[in-house]
Amino acid sequence: MTGAELVFVPLGAVALGSSVLVVTTDQLVRAALWLVVALGALAGCFLLLAAELVAWVQVLIYVGAVVVLLLFGIMLTRAPIGRSVDLDSGNRVAALVVALGTAGTLVTVVVGGFRTASIDLGDGSAGSAGTVGAGLFRYWVLPFELLSVLLLAALVGAIVLSRRDIGPRARDGGED
Amino acid sequence: MKTTAELIADDPLWLSIIKVVAIFAFGVVMTLFMIWLERRVVGRMQHRPGPNRVGPFGLLQSLADGLKLAFKEDIRPVVADKWVYFLAPIISAIPAFLAFSVIPFGPDVTMFGHHTALQLVDLPVGVLVILACSSLGVYGIVLSGWASGSPYPLLGSLRSAAQVISYEIAMGLSIVGVILRSHSLSTSDIVNAQEGGWYFWLLPVSFVVYAISMVGETNRAPFDLPEAESELVGGFHTEYSSLKFALFFLAEYVNMVVVSALATTLFLGGWRAPWPLSAIDGGVLNTGWWPILWFVGKTFFFLFVFVWLRGTLPRLRYDQFMRLGWKVLVPVSLVWIVLIAASNALWNTPGVTTGQRLIFFGVGIVVLLVFALLLPDKRVADDEEFVPVTGSGYPLPPLDLSVPKSPPRRRLPAAPEPAEREMEPAAVAAADKETGDGSL
Amino acid sequence: MSGFFSQAQQLQAPDVAYQAVLPMLLVLGAACVSVLFEAFLPRERRWGWQVALTVVTLAGAAISLIVYGNDAPKAGVKTFSDVLTIDRPTLFLWGTLLLLAFGAVLLIADRSVEPGGAFVAQAAIRPGTLQDRVQAAKVGMQTEVFPLTLFALGGMMVFCAANDLLTMFVALEVLSLPLYLMAGLARRRRLLSQEAAVKYFLLGAFASAFFLYGIALLYGYAGSVKLADIATAAAGTNRSDTLLFAGMGLLVVGLLFKASVGPFHTWTPDVYQGSPTPVTAFMAACTKVAAFGGILRVLMGAFASTNWEWRGVLWGVAIASMAIGAVLGLTQTDVKRMIAYSSVAHAGFLLVGSIALTSKGVSGTLFYLLAYGLTTVATFGIVSLVRDADGEASHLSQWAGLAKRSPIVAGVFTFLLLALAGIPLTSGFVGKFVVFSAALQSGMAPLVVVALVFSAVAAFFYLRVIVLMYFSEPAADGPTVTVPGAFTTMAITIGALATLVLGVFPSFALDWAGAGGFTF
Repeated sequence: MTGAELVFVPLGAVALGSSVLVVTTDQLVRAALWLVVALGALAGCFLLLAAELVAWVQVLIYVGAVVVLLLFGIMLTRAPIGRSVDLDSGNRVAALVVALGTAGTLVTVVVGGFRTASIDLGDGSAGSAGTVGAGLFRYWVLPFELLSVLLLAALVGAIVLSRRDIGPRARDGGED
Repeated sequence: MKTTAELIADDPLWLSIIKVVAIFAFGVVMTLFMIWLERRVVGRMQHRPGPNRVGPFGLLQSLADGLKLAFKEDIRPVVADKWVYFLAPIISAIPAFLAFSVIPFGPDVTMFGHHTALQLVDLPVGVLVILACSSLGVYGIVLSGWASGSPYPLLGSLRSAAQVISYEIAMGLSIVGVILRSHSLSTSDIVNAQEGGWYFWLLPVSFVVYAISMVGETNRAPFDLPEAESELVGGFHTEYSSLKFALFFLAEYVNMVVVSALATTLFLGGWRAPWPLSAIDGGVLNTGWWPILWFVGKTFFFLFVFVWLRGTLPRLRYDQFMRLGWKVLVPVSLVWIVLIAASNALWNTPGVTTGQRLIFFGVGIVVLLVFALLLPDKRVADDEEFVPVTGSGYPLPPLDLSVPKSPPRRRLPAAPEPAEREMEPAAVAAADKETGDGSL
Repeated sequence: MSGFFSQAQQLQAPDVAYQAVLPMLLVLGAACVSVLFEAFLPRERRWGWQVALTVVTLAGAAISLIVYGNDAPKAGVKTFSDVLTIDRPTLFLWGTLLLLAFGAVLLIADRSVEPGGAFVAQAAIRPGTLQDRVQAAKVGMQTEVFPLTLFALGGMMVFCAANDLLTMFVALEVLSLPLYLMAGLARRRRLLSQEAAVKYFLLGAFASAFFLYGIALLYGYAGSVKLADIATAAAGTNRSDTLLFAGMGLLVVGLLFKASVGPFHTWTPDVYQGSPTPVTAFMAACTKVAAFGGILRVLMGAFASTNWEWRGVLWGVAIASMAIGAVLGLTQTDVKRMIAYSSVAHAGFLLVGSIALTSKGVSGTLFYLLAYGLTTVATFGIVSLVRDADGEASHLSQWAGLAKRSPIVAGVFTFLLLALAGIPLTSGFVGKFVVFSAALQSGMAPLVVVALVFSAVAAFFYLRVIVLMYFSEPAADGPTVTVPGAFTTMAITIGALATLVLGVFPSFALDWAGAGGFTF
């Protein structure tokens, strides 16, 4: 086993374990926190693959912003401390079967497909900010710009769904 | 000539450990010193002496306070979420220290016979690491407020989550300007790129935006809404005491030092000596151990500004604060980035003379001005489509909201109907009144 | 001075064939301008400006498409570092999308059928509250639907032209997200509409995940997300086929979901019913075009060489889709749900053409898409006209005896239903004919027989509605037929006329559809 493999195994275990905890814990906020751990472990895996930029962006965006927003949403609405009984679903057995089935299939497929494959990371420049940037703006420039369009559409949508117009009222005084 | 990253990669383990310890000590000492400095400076601004009893000039006051905190009783509210309550202060303190690791304190030096750089690690994406660490720090605040299980801390943590996310965007955008100029995300490269000129005057808009958002990011006055004493008692740390409280204090001050050090690195030329001094003897003051002096001096300048702001400005209202972040800082940064990118592109296009460049910019400015003049004044028109905001209960909860159960330890067994009769008269009256209110 | 502006090495910007992609750029650019309109125009002026901008954009894009299409290279153009291919099918699909979107935009812009339009004035107001009752009396509408429509249209255009899976995925999101939103903006029956939006969003997110995982596996297989590279890798035999077929399966599930094919249709009835009718028209017509454009390109571009392995599965899917659509359509009592199931059946027919994998199959499917889309837009235009006090009267029993109240509307609707059923002299017949003959030629005779059987079954429920309209007594408190305004009239006229013209003189459109094949 190489050094990278030695680090990868515990990282993978952490990612897997905390992902399982995300869906099994019956405390809402803790589920969000386990999600943080899972995402952090994934960032660690990215680091192992010498994808430095992606790893830190993962921490910055997913851990630092997305889950904080999740927590923000939870706290704005309920913020329960302790168990939330309504998080349990009667379908958990079915869900478990489906999840295990899917996981089993995918693991089989991926293991079957990549058993002998290995990636040469080269000098580690494949994941550097420079390479990623050049790839984004040279080859993937259209999808990149489309993503900004997507975000704009999402922004408009969020405003449409949430914003009340609190404008000036009608001259006649209107309804109360 | 090796790059900084290569120099650091050659460090033996013991040297790295020395650096880690030194950085940690720097953080802690700076915290103790800053608390003293803040109290002295604010005292001076308010025509009072400030702490002056413990040690010379009261210098040991913060140490005494820290010791006192350690001996206080460690209280945990009954309804608190045990683990998260315990973890929160740690989560807020660790990232603060982590961020120090990529700050360049100085150039190459020889330390115990080893040639190395005064920096723990030099990552190619160093600036991102600092941003990521500061975004991790918010978990400490959010979770502490939530885990305390009482309303004021929860409100404080809500505010803090909104605040840090909003100001992180402005901060990130202001840093983009620096990256566009330095062409690198590595902190040491950014310092090197400032050899020709510090960015605070080359990129004034970025600097101002960063300076404002760093105050917002660290929850300091006038943006200290998460812990607003007059509104939220103490905000997220209301329920904390003893060493856990001390950890929050430590995190806040270390964070201040980190953002100040980052400001120094990004905009004030890092460890570079200021101008007249940098010219002495071919720049001898930019070599060896001297730069630490300049670095710490510049950092102290920012720290002093923090204290100055606190002594001068009243706290902003929450909506003003959010408006400043989203409607001023973010758009200004975006326009500024476009300007930098445009000028970069213009200057990098071969065959364009300086005169043409200036004409191009002049046209751009004129177009902007005309556009600004043509924009109609905001007219407050009568709105035919007005729909009243209040009237059916907003912001009251909907009628079918099931009230969440009270926390487990406080929950009383549901009293059967006859049990009510056995209550004391006052309690019965109160209960009747409540049910009466509920049915309205 | 140049020292300030440093000399880091410059990135080589990709070459862009601006002429070829001008329609797409116009639509996306106009969407951004339209957002600015929302931001800066006072509310009472927005509707007019937005309608004008949207119509002008669609017209401009169509003109630029025609101008380019007249002398476009037959082999197609690859641009934006080869992530887009503008070949003949792309041009046909773009033209179809623009035409259908024009019809849908007319329906969206209409404010005469429902005072104020089919969209809610302020979506943020909770249904059933006092504010909701107040706003129900006002005539404003959420004009953000126009930028959202343009965004979705732009996404669809990229989706049909995408030459690699990553671009395709991003485009899929760009086209889906605005639709999720627009599904929830109905003025009447808001809870139903919001439910539809949530269902669509959740299932759509699920399908996107499938699509993405498929891309990941295919990347693992081929080391690239380009269609051509996947095809090359699949032609070489020394790799594990598990990855290829698992990846393809997941990918195709995501695509079939968008096209509301077969067993992946579960969202279709609820969303068609709950969404505002103009949005349903847009979704039913344009999404189907985009999705089948994508399916055609993926199947032809990446998986053509391995078709012996997967064709059987898609046979099954096509049969399942036709069966579900035809049989469940029979049991529906709501017009919009019925058309939704009919769209599932039609998706099955389209899939028959798509898996023929011949140039005739491609051109037949393209023609079918054009014909079906135009008919659908007009159909939903008519559905929006039959109203009672609660809004649209979409329950079938309310349509009883409609011919006696309004013979013209009933007549047009009958014609459109006959087109959906595939009766000769309508575009539906020609569409089915070309698709089935292409399938026959590529040796899928059993499938064609099954498809013909289900066409007959499906025809039954269209005929049921026609019988209901002509041979039943109208209910006393039945719905009224609103006299449509100019916009809706125009949309219905375009759709109905095209259905007729494509049914009687289909050759010109067939020529366009068959003008050239895909380029990868």
